[in-house]
This record gives sequence, structure tokens and C-alpha cells, in this order.
Amino acid sequence: MTWLHGLWAEDPPVMAEDFPLSSVRFPSMEPEEGCALRCVCGPDSGQETRCWSIGPLLRFPPPNTKGNSRAQNCSGNMMRSSSSLQTIIMSSDGDKQPAEETSESVNASSAPSPETELTVTIGATVPTGFEHTAAEEVKEKIGVDARVSRDRGRIYFPVSTDKLFQVHRLRSVDNLFVVVKEYDQYHFKESKEETLMELQELASKLPWTNALEVWRLNRTLKKKKGHRKGGHSTRAKPDSEVCDTAEQQQQEPAQEQSGDAPDTESQPPETAAEEKLVKFRVTCNRAGDKHSFSSNEAARDFGGAVQEFFQWKADMTKFDVEVLLNIHNEEMVVGIALTEESLHRRNISHFGPTTLRSTLCYGMLRLCKLQASDIILDPMCGTGAIPLEGAIEFNSSFYVAGDNNDMAVSRTLNNICHMQKRRAEKGSSPGLPVDTVQWDLCRLPVRTGSVDVIITDMPFGKRMGSRKKNWDLYPSCLREMARVCRPGSGKAVLLTQDKKCFSKAISRMGGLWKKLHTVWVNVGGLHAGVYLLKRTAGVFGQTPEDVHESPARVYKQTDEKEDD
Amino acid sequence: MKLLTHNMLTSHVKGVTKGYPLLIKATEVKVNQLDFNPQFVSRMIPKLEWGALVQAAGDLGYRQDLPGELVVDYEQNEEFLKKVHRVLLEVEVMEGSLKCPESGREFPITKGIPNMLLNEDEA
Repeated sequence: MTWLHGLWAEDPPVMAEDFPLSSVRFPSMEPEEGCALRCVCGPDSGQETRCWSIGPLLRFPPPNTKGNSRAQNCSGNMMRSSSSLQTIIMSSDGDKQPAEETSESVNASSAPSPETELTVTIGATVPTGFEHTAAEEVKEKIGVDARVSRDRGRIYFPVSTDKLFQVHRLRSVDNLFVVVKEYDQYHFKESKEETLMELQELASKLPWTNALEVWRLNRTLKKKKGHRKGGHSTRAKPDSEVCDTAEQQQQEPAQEQSGDAPDTESQPPETAAEEKLVKFRVTCNRAGDKHSFSSNEAARDFGGAVQEFFQWKADMTKFDVEVLLNIHNEEMVVGIALTEESLHRRNISHFGPTTLRSTLCYGMLRLCKLQASDIILDPMCGTGAIPLEGAIEFNSSFYVAGDNNDMAVSRTLNNICHMQKRRAEKGSSPGLPVDTVQWDLCRLPVRTGSVDVIITDMPFGKRMGSRKKNWDLYPSCLREMARVCRPGSGKAVLLTQDKKCFSKAISRMGGLWKKLHTVWVNVGGLHAGVYLLKRTAGVFGQTPEDVHESPARVYKQTDEKEDD
Repeated sequence: MKLLTHNMLTSHVKGVTKGYPLLIKATEVKVNQLDFNPQFVSRMIPKLEWGALVQAAGDLGYRQDLPGELVVDYEQNEEFLKKVHRVLLEVEVMEGSLKCPESGREFPITKGIPNMLLNEDEA
């Protein structure tokens, strides 16, 4: 058993509801939202908390939720305390202030002139299961074919530098990076020493130039966006169209505050001043049984060689360049990150315990092939993530978000208002085609057959609700959803982890719902299914299941064994 | 609460058969600007209960001389569609209540959100 060694981020804490979230940076790990965490050393030792968001920064409410005072200068060791403990590796402590020092220009070799258009391969991480949906979006918005990687949750596609800004309009991607080099079949050596040595030698041989050019271009794109609206940005970080949420204001401001970029006015893209002090880090993701080394060892050794080669400064928290080393069995990809923090939380400023990633919401919305003037219901909306993403991205439909819980309704309202304010600030009309209602989903106060699409995240039974409750809940809410859904043309897209309960409930409603398609996804480490259903033409109340037996009797079960 | 939403809401108090449309009593109404999409409006009209919409708009003082019955060829009439757009999506009831026409039960509207939850005995 080994441990994750995380570093408390020095940013000011993010606010969630009325307590600050702590932030810890793990150099390389498998992301797991919702996972339980326990502090194993330091003043909070023994305290438990739960992960709320992941990415380069792991966020969670500090065990001592009243304050965040200890976040500043201590390093916390965190262990995942679920029933299936994984081994996670210690990383080196990088929490140092870098000394001021000049370094060589990033142009280690001759770079193409700014006018030349390059074509590079862009990689994107997407919610597992929605790779093809993401590829569809790439085809639609960028016009190129994307390739789905064997390493799940990644797609690759070519982009020319003049079209680079378009990648930031993609709503189904969590993170973007530019590929330096891809190895389809990399033959790792038998021994750890040899393998790591080879990785080190690789650093100086890779074709960095084009990728770095794209990285640089990407940075200026972001800067330009921040100042486009005539100096509205009172925030430290430029307002990227896709990236700005209230939460991200205190992200490591790699571009503007790291002391090396001299000013915040618009500047010509390439200035020598910017290249003076490049800080970087290497993030390694490794998957596969046959490797002799760990992700951290690879990151460490490869990073060392990169540092030697470029004379950059290694900095785990305030970096300009993030080099990615993705290893999946024999596939290896070296890339440079184009996004600083995962884009998946872009719309939400008020989180709840089970807030869905916006990228996942987008994937679900795309599945339904929405049409103009479709009326869409989310009867268990939680923080309103799905309707909000829909109202922004598929705005020729109308969304009604509903929940029975006071806090959920309040958070949904706050998220919508927050979004409207942002739109008003940017000069667009603030109004969004979405409304919120407080209701009981098993007794929807909605006219029969008046809804075109139902799309929702159903209670998982782990973080919300319970397995036993789901046995009763699923059939009744599926029936009520069938009632309000338009017969013949209506659809439902339902996300649930309780696949057994759901499948059983659906199988007894053949007169009302037909299963069209299922997408298997990963939500916070839990395997879930997104079920696409079609509403049959059957009139509610007159289908076989209603005529022959009352649903209540069908579900008299002995208690299902509660697992986990 | 927008009037498009109101057009879909009904009372579901136990025993009630004529719970639609709910009567609006508004103490605060706001008008929010929302981008006009003619295709959205013209495709939405057939899904609406037109009479209920016109009644509700009138109750709030935003009828804008919309006809009691739908005219033919409204799809091309942009002026008409703009009026419908306003009434469907831009006029919002922020505070007030919705009243069941049969039982008289009132559902409060706070900050634009109607609370349609029933008590144990009403379900």
C-alpha cells in the first residue's frame, strides 16, 4: 500500500455554498470524483472528507469545515478510503519557490514563422462512453474526422493553427492537449532502469517545435479573449469563453501572475520577455500490467530530462507548460496541455453533492438529437447542470428543471442567475429558455403528453438515495415520466448506476418505453449507464401493464441485499 | 415562472379532475430579454393550449391584443410571432401564486419558482 502525497495549493480557497474548499494538487493520479478521502498526517489527521472535483487540483471540503487556515503551508498526505484501496505512489515534494533565473528561449530549434499554418494533432479527454458523441461534435464544429483512442476517454483529431480557437468551442471535451509525438506500439524495455533511461533520452529527440508553437498560440488566444470586451476583466485570469466559472478565478494564474509575463495589456504574440522564465511540470498517466515502472517514476525521470534540455524550471503548482505523458499498454503519447483546469465544471458556480460534469450533460443532450421547440424536462435536476447546459448549447428548445429538495431548487436557481449575469456582462441577452419548479417527481404537476424529452440523472443509491428506495422509486417515476412524455415521438435519456434495478423496471414497461441504446460511462469512479428510451405510441393507462395488473403488486420484493 | 411553463402545469390535488389551467395571482412580474427565434415560436404554438396562454397573458396585463383563437398562416407573421415570443418567454412571474380552479388550493411562487409540492393528505 502506498500513498498519494499531495501538496496544498497556495491559491485562495474556492467557495462552495458557505465554506471554502481545500485544494490539493496531485502530480499524477486517476481522477475519482466523489471518492472518500482521509487525512493521514498533520493536524487534521484521521478526519474524513469527500472529493468534490478533480483535475490538476483535487478539491474537497476541508475536514475541519469551519476554516481553511491550515491549507497554506502544509502538505497533506491523503489516502483514498473506499473498500477497494488502490496503490498510489508517493511523488516528490515540489513545493518550493523558484529562483529567478534567465533561461534559453523556448525556441530550441528553428520555429516556423508566425504566418505559416501548421497542422497538428490535438488530443482531447472526454467522459468515458461519449467518445463517439465527442467525435461527432468535432466533425460538426471543426469539420475534421476524429479518431477514438484505445485508451478510453480520448479522441484525436488534426487541426490547422488558423482554426485553433475553434477547439475551445467544443462542449464535450474535458481537457485539450497538443500532441508532440504518438507511439502506437512503444516497446518498453524489460527492466525499470533501462526503460527510464530510454525515456530520458527521448526528451531531447522529440519534435517539440510545432507543439510549442501551438501552445504559445493558444496562450495568446486566451489572453486576447480576456481583453476583447474592452477591459472588463477585473479577474486576474483572462475570461476564456469556455473556461470561466466563478470557481476558476483562483486557479493558478499561470499566464498573468507568475511574474514572468510583464503586463496584462494586449501584446503582439511573440515577445522575448515571455520566454524568459518558463516553468513546467510533467503529468504522467499510466495504465497497463506489463510496465516495470510507475507513473511517478516516469514523470520524474522524463521531467528531469526535459528540464535539462530546455533549461526550464520545474514547478508543480505555478507552471506555464504542462507536459503530458500518457501511457496505455503499448500506446504512448507525449503532449502539451492546452487547458489549465478541466472544462467540465464550466457552468456551475453552486455545487451540490452530485453535480454532473457539464461535458457529461452535453453528451447526454446530444444523444437525444434535440429539435427546435422541443420541451425538455429534468424532473430530478439537482443543481440544474443538465438543463443549464441545454439552455446554453441547444437553445432552440425549452427546459423545465424540477426537484423536490429545497436546496437543489435553490442551487439551480443560483446557477441559472449566475449564468444570466455573466451573459449580461458579455453583452448578450441574459434570458435563457429554462424555468425551475419545485415538485414531486412521482406526481408531476404537468399535463399528460406535453413533454418531448426527459433527461435526468437518477439517484445512484450510493451518494444519494439508497438501493432499497430505488426499487420503489424507479418504477413509479418511470411511469410518471411515461405519462407526461408525448406518445410516439417522446424520448428519455436517463443516467443511472443502479443498472439492475433500472433494467428490471424497464422490462416491465414494454407498453410504454422501448430501450433504444445504452452508453456505458464512468461517473465519479462508478460505472453507470445512460439509457436512451423511446416512448411508445401506447396511450397511458391503456397499455397491457395497466390493464392486467397493478404495478404496486409487481414490485413486492424481499429486500435486496445492500451491497457496498 | 414563464408563461410557457404555466401552460404545462396542472393541479394534481387528489380527486381533482379539472385542475387546468391554474389561475395566476401575481404580485411581482418581470420582463427579461431573450433572443427571438421565429422557428421556435411557430413550432411551439401547436403544442400549446392557446386559450390558457391568452387568458394568463391577459391576467398579467400583457395580452398585447393577441387573438382568442389562432389565426391561419401565423408562421409567416413575424409581428405576431414576436408578440407570442414575449408572452411565452420574456414575461416572468416572480412572486405570487397558482390556484387550482377546482379545489382552490394555492401553490406559492417565490423568486420565480412555483412550489407544487402537496401535503401528505392532498396527494
